Amino acid sequence: MELLCLGLNHRTAPVEVRERFAVGSTKLGDASIELTAMNGVFEGVVISTCNRTEFYLVATTATEALVLLENHLVEKTQLEHHDQVVPHFYRKQKSEAARHLCRVVSGLDSMMLGETEIFGQVKHAYQSALGAGATSGVLNRLFQRAFGVGKKVRTETRIQEGSTSVGNVAVDLAEKIFGHLKDSEVMILGAGEMSRITAQSLVSRGARSIFVSNRSYDRAEELAKEMGGCAVRFDEWQSVLERVDIVISSTGAPHAIVQRADVEKARRARKYRPLFFIDIAVPRDIDPSVGEIEEVYLYDIDTLEQLADEARARRQKQIEECERIIDAELAKLNLPGT
Amino acid sequence: MDHWILILGTVLAAIGSVWGMVSVHRGTRSLWTIVWMLAVFVCQLVFLGFRGKEHGTCPLTDHGEILVFLSWALTLFYLLVGSTYRISLLGVFTAPVVTVFQSIALIPGVLDENPQKFTNGSFWHEIHSSTAVLAYGGFALAAVAAVMFLVLDKQLKEHHLKSGLFRNLPPVRELLVSMERLLQIAGTLLTLGIIAGFLMPHDHKALGHLLAAVAVWSGYGFLLGLKLVRGLTGRKLSLSVVIMFILSLGVFAFV
Repeated sequence: MELLCLGLNHRTAPVEVRERFAVGSTKLGDASIELTAMNGVFEGVVISTCNRTEFYLVATTATEALVLLENHLVEKTQLEHHDQVVPHFYRKQKSEAARHLCRVVSGLDSMMLGETEIFGQVKHAYQSALGAGATSGVLNRLFQRAFGVGKKVRTETRIQEGSTSVGNVAVDLAEKIFGHLKDSEVMILGAGEMSRITAQSLVSRGARSIFVSNRSYDRAEELAKEMGGCAVRFDEWQSVLERVDIVISSTGAPHAIVQRADVEKARRARKYRPLFFIDIAVPRDIDPSVGEIEEVYLYDIDTLEQLADEARARRQKQIEECERIIDAELAKLNLPGT
Repeated sequence: MDHWILILGTVLAAIGSVWGMVSVHRGTRSLWTIVWMLAVFVCQLVFLGFRGKEHGTCPLTDHGEILVFLSWALTLFYLLVGSTYRISLLGVFTAPVVTVFQSIALIPGVLDENPQKFTNGSFWHEIHSSTAVLAYGGFALAAVAAVMFLVLDKQLKEHHLKSGLFRNLPPVRELLVSMERLLQIAGTLLTLGIIAGFLMPHDHKALGHLLAAVAVWSGYGFLLGLKLVRGLTGRKLSLSVVIMFILSLGVFAFV
């Protein structure tokens, strides 16, 4: 018996190829049982996310099973240009396949290094295969161990530490200033895509209400409606400043929109409460001197990018330690087929 | 015997300080700080129990006992308030203060070597002493929270966000709310202490102490009133709380 893995991911295949092999989350069990119907295959699990589709098999001989699986996929997806698609697949056998699964579960093979969502996605795929009766001794042991390794990697290293996107850095900072965001109000200046994404992240973490101000009032109303907030006319945003805690600015203005005097005017009414400005516009929307006001925390796009870059670099440095844990844990497993 | 208990409590607090600092440096939060502080609290209770039995009254008769009582109040507030407001890191900052206070109390001559038995203790005197020192424990903890705020504020302002300390410090708003609540609790206790102080039999020397306590009460009252009515930036509030606490310790010069 030999363990093998055939797969493609965001690094080996463009989206138009990946989508051909994607399997819906409700069909993972059926897809797994289909694998075991192939000659010489005893167990199978199909993992499918937006960035990868992978097939884990236990078969009599890995090389024969790989050929069978490729033919099965070509037939199933009705590909006309078989030779152009097959090179997008990676093939891993025995211990390499086990090691690859542990790397996937630990987030080391993800587009965003160290991300945690993949853990749940693999668990769901395995449970679907288990529920369909497509797994047995080898894959059950392998997946259980991979989940244990994934947990160990996350608790014993700093692979998931820090935020690696500008939006998440901004949200983490907001939580460092205000704690739970359920008591925080947010104002968006400029209804651009970046402000929308950042504001959505804040709302998803509990931010109470959103005010949207934009030169085009119709666009402000549209975004406010989408986010369940209120639109504010662009010449009235100063009055809203008195009540909000977080301001996200991303207008296309060629000069600073928020001047120090605007904030100074609102301080007394705000009773000098902390105020967090996120300036993601280029050129900047908020005059840098606003950051000199005692209770104001001002972060521009460069600072946020730098913080995200630093977090990414810190995660990169953790890879070696993660690989060491994976190797040590797999050595203990002594799994047949590897 | 009582000295040995105090030495043990001080050593435990010192270990708690080092342990806490190492955890923070590593970027983790150690629950052991709470365990150490609980052990320190027990030592303080035993020490104060011994001294109280020897005096036959509340053990606040010399500067050494006042410092230990203050450390006890500080530890009590930390154990009660720290967990309530989820600011367990406060222990990391509290333990060094307790270590310093108790170390000073252990300097020869600060604690009375032969505690005397008091037979003329008054009820109001004991209420005054205990509530006032408890109030000081609250003010001390507010000052600790203020220092934490000042550290966090500086890091956020200067965009220095990589340290283990930054990761473990509670949010700005949580620190400000905790500080305000601690000032309110301590202020209420000090009010009770001052009222009891005027009700107890007092001589000319005690009047100076009481007037100093009233000055402290007015200072904190003004600060809280200002925060409530006009509002204050976190930095100004924190600096005022730290300065007020240092100045207010002068009250004990009159004891």
